Amino acid sequence: MQNETLLRTNKSPKSRLSRGLRDNLVAYSFIAPNFIGFALFTLVPMIFAFILAFVKWDGANPMKFIGLDNFTRLISDTTFHKALWNTIVYTIGVVPLTMIVALALAILLNQKIMGRNFMRTVFFFPYVASLVAVAAVWNFIFSPTMGPINNILHTLTGIPLEDLPRWAADKQWAMFTVVLFTVWKNMGYYMVIYLAGLQGINPELYEAAELDGAGPWRRFRNVTVPQLAPTTFFVLMILVINSFKVYDIFINLFAGADNQLNNSTRVMVYQIYNTAFRSLDYGYASAMAIVLFLLVLGITIVQFRGEKKYGQ
Amino acid sequence: MNLKRFYGMTLATALSVSMLAGCSGNNSNKEAAATNAPASGNAATASAEPGKDPVTLKWALWDWEATAYYKPLIDAYKAAHPNVTIEYVDLGSTDYMTMLSTQLSGGADLDVLTIKDIPGYSNLVKQNHLEPLKTYMGDKSIDPSLYGGTVEQIEVGGEVYALPFRSDFWLVYYNKALFDKAGVDYPSNDMTFDQYDELARKMTSGSGSEKVYGAHYHTWRSAVQLFGILDGKNTVVGGNYDFLKPTYERILKEQEDGIVMDYATLKTSSTHYSGVFYNNSVAMMNMGSWFIATQIEKVKSGESQSAEWGIVKYPHPDGVEAGTTLGTITSLAVNQKSKHKEAALDFMNFVTGAEGAKVIASTGTIPAIKNDEVINSITSIDGFPADENSKAALNTVQTYLEMPIHEKSADIEVILNEAHDNIMTKNASIDEGLKDMNDRVGQLLNN
Repeated sequence: MQNETLLRTNKSPKSRLSRGLRDNLVAYSFIAPNFIGFALFTLVPMIFAFILAFVKWDGANPMKFIGLDNFTRLISDTTFHKALWNTIVYTIGVVPLTMIVALALAILLNQKIMGRNFMRTVFFFPYVASLVAVAAVWNFIFSPTMGPINNILHTLTGIPLEDLPRWAADKQWAMFTVVLFTVWKNMGYYMVIYLAGLQGINPELYEAAELDGAGPWRRFRNVTVPQLAPTTFFVLMILVINSFKVYDIFINLFAGADNQLNNSTRVMVYQIYNTAFRSLDYGYASAMAIVLFLLVLGITIVQFRGEKKYGQ
Repeated sequence: MNLKRFYGMTLATALSVSMLAGCSGNNSNKEAAATNAPASGNAATASAEPGKDPVTLKWALWDWEATAYYKPLIDAYKAAHPNVTIEYVDLGSTDYMTMLSTQLSGGADLDVLTIKDIPGYSNLVKQNHLEPLKTYMGDKSIDPSLYGGTVEQIEVGGEVYALPFRSDFWLVYYNKALFDKAGVDYPSNDMTFDQYDELARKMTSGSGSEKVYGAHYHTWRSAVQLFGILDGKNTVVGGNYDFLKPTYERILKEQEDGIVMDYATLKTSSTHYSGVFYNNSVAMMNMGSWFIATQIEKVKSGESQSAEWGIVKYPHPDGVEAGTTLGTITSLAVNQKSKHKEAALDFMNFVTGAEGAKVIASTGTIPAIKNDEVINSITSIDGFPADENSKAALNTVQTYLEMPIHEKSADIEVILNEAHDNIMTKNASIDEGLKDMNDRVGQLLNN
């Protein structure tokens, strides 16, 4: 510390300034490759998308400025409302269930049990497995007439195959099926995050709680849960954002060869894709994308506020 | 601090909503390409001289592996034009036209474009991607009447932007072995809808893995909905769809009674129509004439177990002549910004002309120029059903295009497909689905 002050006073003010500048330049040069990529492929297109929301454009002919028309169109567009509603239902289904399952798995696999590492790998596996492949397998397992699930249910309960749920092919059960699939596919990832959180908890807290006579439930309620709050907020945020931008899972489970979703499975990102690239209505699609963006931004702000208040 | 945090949050959200960026990323590329392309196009036209300098043409198509005639066509052309190299760009059959339009808007250097369907074609015309052909056709004295009226059907504003090289129409394929086993007479070349329905019910039998379905409707809208236009009184771009009610009632009834497979299940399992025909699960199937070549080939390779098969004319409404059917054309067009426009036009002329037609027919596919020579060439292919009915089935009296040309046909198609899917999966009742079509297409047409 003292040496540094000495060094600094020995130098002229001019060279000190340029050194500071030099340091900054070095730092910027390290950031630059990443930032240029971000600016070129994300930031500029994003700003462009905001502009697009106020024009009518098919990608080839000149753009036409139409003000807020794209947004007023959204208000009466029932197809879009349905897509928005489906996305919200999906999010409400996926988020809490994934959190509960991931936390439960993390707590179980944080104990010293036999084959712990093996079990961790087993639960993490769906997350790394290719979506296209596992979706095909699920579609087979849940196939209404040929799939094992319905055949097992049929054998166990004696209900005729025709009266059992048709899962992904059934408008009432489609959303349930996709929620189940998503939870199964992603629980491993959030389990790992929770495991890291659990291992960051000071064991002395548990000892102290035990000395005070706290049972397992009390220890969970009053030590684990509050200590995990930052992790939980992180998981919650990522889950909500990911649920709102879901696309690939629905396409792989429901769309079939012609890549189309129907009323009961249409989600927002699909609707944006359809409007932009099939109907060539880039302006209207951008307006939808902005609604999605604002929704996610709003939820993120609320969650950040919540974290500040309850997190620490 | 607060502001910084807000900024960080916005950025984080922005990063995560990557779809937004995905969409617009393409858009900005497009704009750049649009301004670049004319310059390069001008520079290149001078150097493109077919017959002299080596030229490499890029041909956009789908399903290279599964299509019999692409390679013979290229080989035949190269024999006469050794200086031309033709590279193919396989964009896949799912969403092919969307892919093509996106590629072209992004300035891809494709020269020859295969046009899969009419809605996609009208979009490309609107976007000015296609080279107008009237002048070229005049220069080369190409006679549009050879194409049996299809060229006139794809005119937009007095100009033509593509020439058909394939002209397919719908037929009924049936499995002779299953009919023999059930002791039922084969279908005939003159069936009304009612007779077809009756026959399908007669041919349905068994359960579990032994189940035989009397008929099979693939998950395309055209396989079901377009029975409704065969009486020639209505079109699917008219804006009123109430006339489709009897068609939907009939098909949904068949689905409920287990005469045909369940649409939603077929869709989620992405079941291909060929598979169920190959493995003897369906007695009859309505499908386009493109399936003839595939079926012949797969019987030879042993993949298709329904080796005894035949074709008959499409079922028709009462009071309509047999041989009335649906049709679809596949065409070639030239990219307006191609660097080798002359060479590309020459290749297009070859494929869509009489020489190309011969090559296409030799693979069992029906070319757009359909004369007696072509028909004979197809029916004499080894593996084509030997009975007279199958040969006669190739003669049509009236062909309605699956999708007539209309300025908004692409948008109309999206709406019809969605409503069709809702009806067939019972997400909507027939009445609700038809009302949805009426409302949304009506809104579109009035805009």
